[in-house]
Amino acid sequence: MKRTMISMILVGGKGTRLGDITNATAKPAVSFGAKYRLIDFTLSNITNSNIDVCGIVTQYEPFELMYYIGSGASWDLDVLEGGIRFLTPYSRKGDILWQKGTAHAIKQYFDFIRAYNASYVLILSGDHIYKMDYQLMLEHHLNSNADITIGATEVPLEEASRFGILEYDNHNRVLSFTEKPKNPKSNLASMGIYIFSTDVLEELLEKASDEDIDFGKNIIPKSINMNKVVSMYNFGGYWRDVGTVESLYQANMDLVDNPTFLDLNVSKDLPIYSKSLNLNPHVILSKGRVQKSVIADGCLINGIIRRSTISYEVVVESGAEVVDSVVLPNVTIGSNSYLRKVIVNKGVIIPDNYRCDSKEIIVITDDNMLKVGEIYE
Amino acid sequence: MNNLFMVIDATSKGNFSKITRHRVPGALPFGAKYRLIDFTLSNCKNSQITNVSIFPYGNYRSLADHIGSGDRWDLNRRHDGIFILPPKSLNLTREDSISFQRMYEHIEYFLRSIQDYVIVSPANLVWNVDYSVLLHSHLMNKADITEVLSHEKKRLKTYILSRNLLLEYIYAYDQIQFRNLSDVFDYAPNLKKHIYMFENSVYLINSAKELYDANMQMLYKSVRKEWFKKDRPIFSKETMSAATRYGTEADVSNSIIASGAYIEGEVKNSLIGRKVHVAKGARIYNSVIMNQCRIKANAVVEYSLLDKETIVLEDSVVRGDPDKLFVSEKKQIVVSNESLSILQVASECAPYIKTGGLADIVGGLAFQLSKQGVKSQVILPLYPQIKDKYSLFLELRAAEKIIYNDNEYRINLFALVDQNTTFYFVESYEFFEREKIYGYEDDGDRFAIFSKAVITFLPALEQLPEIIHIHDWHTGLIPCILRNENLNYKTLMTIHNIEYQGVYDIDIYRRLGIKNHRMVGYTKLNFMEAGLMNATKISTVSETYRDELKYEYYSKNLVDVINRRDRDFYGVLNGLEDEISPETDLEIEMKYNLVDVFEAKKINKKDLQRRMGLETGDDFFIIGMVTRIVEQKGFDILIPALYDILTNPKVQFVILGTGHERYLNTLNELKNRFPERVSLNLSYDATKPNYIYAGADVFCMPSRYEPCGTGQMIALRYGTIPIVRQTGGLNDTVESYDLSSKRGNGFKFYNYDSRDLIFQINNAINIFFNEKEDWKQVIINAMNSHFSMEDTAKEYIGLYRII
Repeated sequence: MKRTMISMILVGGKGTRLGDITNATAKPAVSFGAKYRLIDFTLSNITNSNIDVCGIVTQYEPFELMYYIGSGASWDLDVLEGGIRFLTPYSRKGDILWQKGTAHAIKQYFDFIRAYNASYVLILSGDHIYKMDYQLMLEHHLNSNADITIGATEVPLEEASRFGILEYDNHNRVLSFTEKPKNPKSNLASMGIYIFSTDVLEELLEKASDEDIDFGKNIIPKSINMNKVVSMYNFGGYWRDVGTVESLYQANMDLVDNPTFLDLNVSKDLPIYSKSLNLNPHVILSKGRVQKSVIADGCLINGIIRRSTISYEVVVESGAEVVDSVVLPNVTIGSNSYLRKVIVNKGVIIPDNYRCDSKEIIVITDDNMLKVGEIYE
Repeated sequence: MNNLFMVIDATSKGNFSKITRHRVPGALPFGAKYRLIDFTLSNCKNSQITNVSIFPYGNYRSLADHIGSGDRWDLNRRHDGIFILPPKSLNLTREDSISFQRMYEHIEYFLRSIQDYVIVSPANLVWNVDYSVLLHSHLMNKADITEVLSHEKKRLKTYILSRNLLLEYIYAYDQIQFRNLSDVFDYAPNLKKHIYMFENSVYLINSAKELYDANMQMLYKSVRKEWFKKDRPIFSKETMSAATRYGTEADVSNSIIASGAYIEGEVKNSLIGRKVHVAKGARIYNSVIMNQCRIKANAVVEYSLLDKETIVLEDSVVRGDPDKLFVSEKKQIVVSNESLSILQVASECAPYIKTGGLADIVGGLAFQLSKQGVKSQVILPLYPQIKDKYSLFLELRAAEKIIYNDNEYRINLFALVDQNTTFYFVESYEFFEREKIYGYEDDGDRFAIFSKAVITFLPALEQLPEIIHIHDWHTGLIPCILRNENLNYKTLMTIHNIEYQGVYDIDIYRRLGIKNHRMVGYTKLNFMEAGLMNATKISTVSETYRDELKYEYYSKNLVDVINRRDRDFYGVLNGLEDEISPETDLEIEMKYNLVDVFEAKKINKKDLQRRMGLETGDDFFIIGMVTRIVEQKGFDILIPALYDILTNPKVQFVILGTGHERYLNTLNELKNRFPERVSLNLSYDATKPNYIYAGADVFCMPSRYEPCGTGQMIALRYGTIPIVRQTGGLNDTVESYDLSSKRGNGFKFYNYDSRDLIFQINNAINIFFNEKEDWKQVIINAMNSHFSMEDTAKEYIGLYRII
């Protein structure tokens, strides 16, 4: 069972900032780019990096995510001694062990890491959009004799205060790590991706107090203070944390606007796998018109679609017009309706003659439909 | 769980030409993201069938790759599951449907299956059916065998019977006359037979056209509803691709687009497969585009079926029409039509010089290519016979000297233009100023010189060719000479007759000045082998013959080189010139066409009987033959069969031809045994044999092998029903008449065996006397069969484009 490096994905967060989109869905199971779920990117990266053990640490609405991932076969992660393991809260000596934070969750499942006797542990998030070869990061970790390597990427300075910001020296050694600083010292943000040498991780978690529950907030700054070698790995590619409605919308528009977005339409190299739902190819009917958009399988399009992403099994009736929008799965858009700058939550049925021309990004749900838009007779 | 197991018949090769070169029909892509076999496998899953076997022929790699472990259809199981059972005996050539002999090879599978009933169904059937409903109907009717027909009464090659009954047939495969279940259903006595009519949409796909039509059906909502049901979905292999992307100028309507495609151009009434790229300005109408094709900027594609990974280059126009689609081969790069320039090289060419069928094809193809916009040129030796007749029209184009065997020879190039086609003639006093065309000791040197002359004269042609199309052994050295001179012309070599290979002294290489000839250590130079080894692509004159040549029985000493070139080996059926027609035939008693054929047949029959000295009368069944009387033509099985058939006092037999003494004698003995009803014309007959084609009821060709054959095509055009052995071009032109669907234009048998021939002749006799309406139908079907030089030229153009 010996592995050089195993991976752990932390999907614990509620994703409250995504509002109704995560009402009954864990954040990583949210649809993106018409046919993907957010978790597809991380799982595909893992399999493309030849890592075959992946622990998924989850506690919030895990059913849909578990159902979606299944055996992991879609990502070639259904291997005999390894593959995907769901690590959910359990009870030990009478207490149910809810995960209080990222580090806390890993601490509870340290037995999992021990079982594979791995020298390195790769800690990931399940809700980022990017393509990355983690082996290159491990190489960096080894070359810089690091105890911890933090994956990092440059962000616009004005947004830097949303991220964990790194300060580093000429040898990429991290000098300080500040979560959401008011006055950021650089624009290099942590991607929430870490490689730990296992013994260092074990030491850090053992020494952690009950309040040290989070890698970013507690463990990383503490380890810098303990003079551990914390190195920075500058990723440099496209990377988005879609934690908010706006960022989810924006990432979808990035995909629509850039035809070579993450090379998703190219099969070579590092493909992003997704679970096939066994749907028919979509049909564009005689009144359909689609421009600068992305459409998934199982759709029936008889209306006009411009600059939008349309997830699977969406029906767009004749005369309907969808512009600058993100339509999640199983939506029906009634005839002669007009939608602009909205995210239509999954399963919503938009009635005929409905109109919602929004100035800021709005998530349309069954509940708020008549508040954010109106039906013209 | 159902008490039913499934035998998927993937043995049929169908009539797909290019698109099944890399796969069996079941593995053909369909409906933008499926493969044909997905329907049958999903039907199994949806009918809770867990024991499925597939009997493929030939190249089933693609099928096996698609099916994988079968888990997509829940067929990856501890008990039962999916079994791919390949042919064990390579000597079994292809058939229309799975034979009991083929099943016997895997008898263990049938013995081990625990279900009591079996359904046999082809892999190339598109439908959504619950097999348990079929079984229920079979049981309710207490039938022994149930056949499923479409609502248009087309046969679907789908049968249900009990495992025990099937086992009986399998065990007795070499003792019974039935090769497969359709034979059993048609002819087996004492069985309770039941027909189940399937009401929904169903397509049995046996040709590129049928594949296209069925794809187009998917654009109808009603058909989609019948094929893709929520509760009975069609499953396919999981693949990875992004969602479909549309560009700013995309214009798509009434089309089905699979995932991963990127559409920047216009798409109307079409199906677009996975990861297809349609660039800006490209237009696609009424077409089926399979996975990973790339349609580049401003290209136009209409009425086409593009196989996977086809690339249509910028500004190219690819246009088929609804009756004759443009079909590409996998990974083909398609350019525009106009630019094609072809030079044919042959030893003979009609109308200038002709000893056999080769001349007709070369000449007919040359004119047809010109008609279809190709620059078409032909080059052949200048024989005195041509000089005599055409000297007034010949124009000297070039004069050269060439070195051969260290001597210098003068050669001249003459040309003549006819119907936009340029014919060139190479003059050489030493080698071609002779009485005969062939049959000299130095034929090897003569055609070696000719080949060298052709290449010497290439710069003198009106237009340099892109492809040099060489025919038979005489031109076999051309690819070697091209290579030796570092010329990069592409070549296609067509085998018309593999019996004549041109075996001469290996020293000819030295005489030509060829150094690296890859035949080091050979003592003889085989012209045909040299051509087959070195040509860019090779072809022969029918699809079935192409397949047969893989076996030593047919290709003899060349079996290894042909199998080595299998990937580059094509079959293109010869066509028949339009002039051959009963409508314009002055040699026959009454000219006719489809309108008055039944009336004319009687008159022409009487004329035939009178000319051949037979008793006249409508109620005789006349078997006609026009043939060389040699072993190849099947006389070893024919003569015993005739002794049997002629015991029927209503059968007459006429034959015209000449040949080997041995068979002439046996025919004369036959004549002595049945003097009233056998008539022989065994001398060389100067008048045309057309009265036999017009007057006989059936035309018999029980050939042992037949690369293409023209007799059966003429007979079909004259409404005379061919009875043929299922070999070579005979197999590709004749389809067995089927009483239930009323389709088919003749009668075929498979084994080279008198008993099978007798069975089919009696089958024809029975329909002739007892099923008069069916006999009329088969005549109509025969006369509607269409084998034209035009189609042949289109096929060759398709092939030239791949080279």
